Amino acid sequence: MSLLKLLARIITDKRLILLFRIILGITFVYASLDKIAHPEQFARIVYNYKILPGFLINLFAVTLPWVEFVAGLFLIFGIFTESASLLISFLLVVFIVAISINLFRGINLNCGCFSTDPAGAKHGASLLVRDFLYLFLGIMVFFFNRSFATLSALLRRR
Amino acid sequence: MPTPLKLSHIILGTLVIILAGSAIGVIYNTFSPSGITLKGNWSPKTTSDSLIVPYGYVEGQDPPAISLDYAMMKFQSKNTVFVDARYPEDFKAGHVKGAINLPYEEFEKYSPGILPHLPTAQEIIAYCDGTECETSLLLARELADLGYEDVKVFFGGWQEWRNAGLSVETGD
Repeated sequence: MSLLKLLARIITDKRLILLFRIILGITFVYASLDKIAHPEQFARIVYNYKILPGFLINLFAVTLPWVEFVAGLFLIFGIFTESASLLISFLLVVFIVAISINLFRGINLNCGCFSTDPAGAKHGASLLVRDFLYLFLGIMVFFFNRSFATLSALLRRR
Repeated sequence: MPTPLKLSHIILGTLVIILAGSAIGVIYNTFSPSGITLKGNWSPKTTSDSLIVPYGYVEGQDPPAISLDYAMMKFQSKNTVFVDARYPEDFKAGHVKGAINLPYEEFEKYSPGILPHLPTAQEIIAYCDGTECETSLLLARELADLGYEDVKVFFGGWQEWRNAGLSVETGD
């Protein structure tokens, strides 16, 4: 077997995909908590991205963290696994685009990714690398999860 | 390739997550003590003396906002220090002549080297890029909290200053 095939087999191994799923799920649940606790600060961060029109900012700041929370939870337990990984991958693409736009504009940015505290601010380029890594996990889970160790598979068996 | 049945299952799941998440978010926000209004207003606003300021600016409570004309007038005075709240890269690329750089985002790092040389009675004018940025205001608040008695914010910032063709310099 060629090295490439071996590598492909390892990286699509159902146990590794399960690990990816759990990591991504926990990450999204964790990332949602501080934003849920501090909607006002998070709305300010969304405002600072200067992408959404003013009247949508608060609605977005109130709903996005909970969508992240539910998607992360579904991913951990394996409920609608493809949908959760697809949605999370889509959100990551949105985040990547939003960060890139502001890197390009040269705006000082508080990411608001995990924390609403400005002290946790990181530089844009490293945020992009991180989001691309998560995106990779999301895409892998979407294509290769094969319902291994998911709640939906467990319920279907009954 | 997903079968049509699987595809509809994926779409259904995505809708469930989005709708459930949004609904919980809105309901939680309604009952949470830290909840916010759903339809916020984030547009820049105008002060009583017709200056355009960021939405979060509180007139009368925050450090006074000043116009380009006033900033120009103060620029002539040797007693006024302009403080640039932008990142060092932006500062180096060009700033108000004679300004000192105190990046708000890295306040902890830069303030120990700067603040000891600034007496609290010093007149300070904070600025950042322009009306689209808020670090000038945040920096001015920080300085006022630290006991600086005469802090003002020039919201027109670097953009307005440069566009007016006023004295600028580059480098540190």
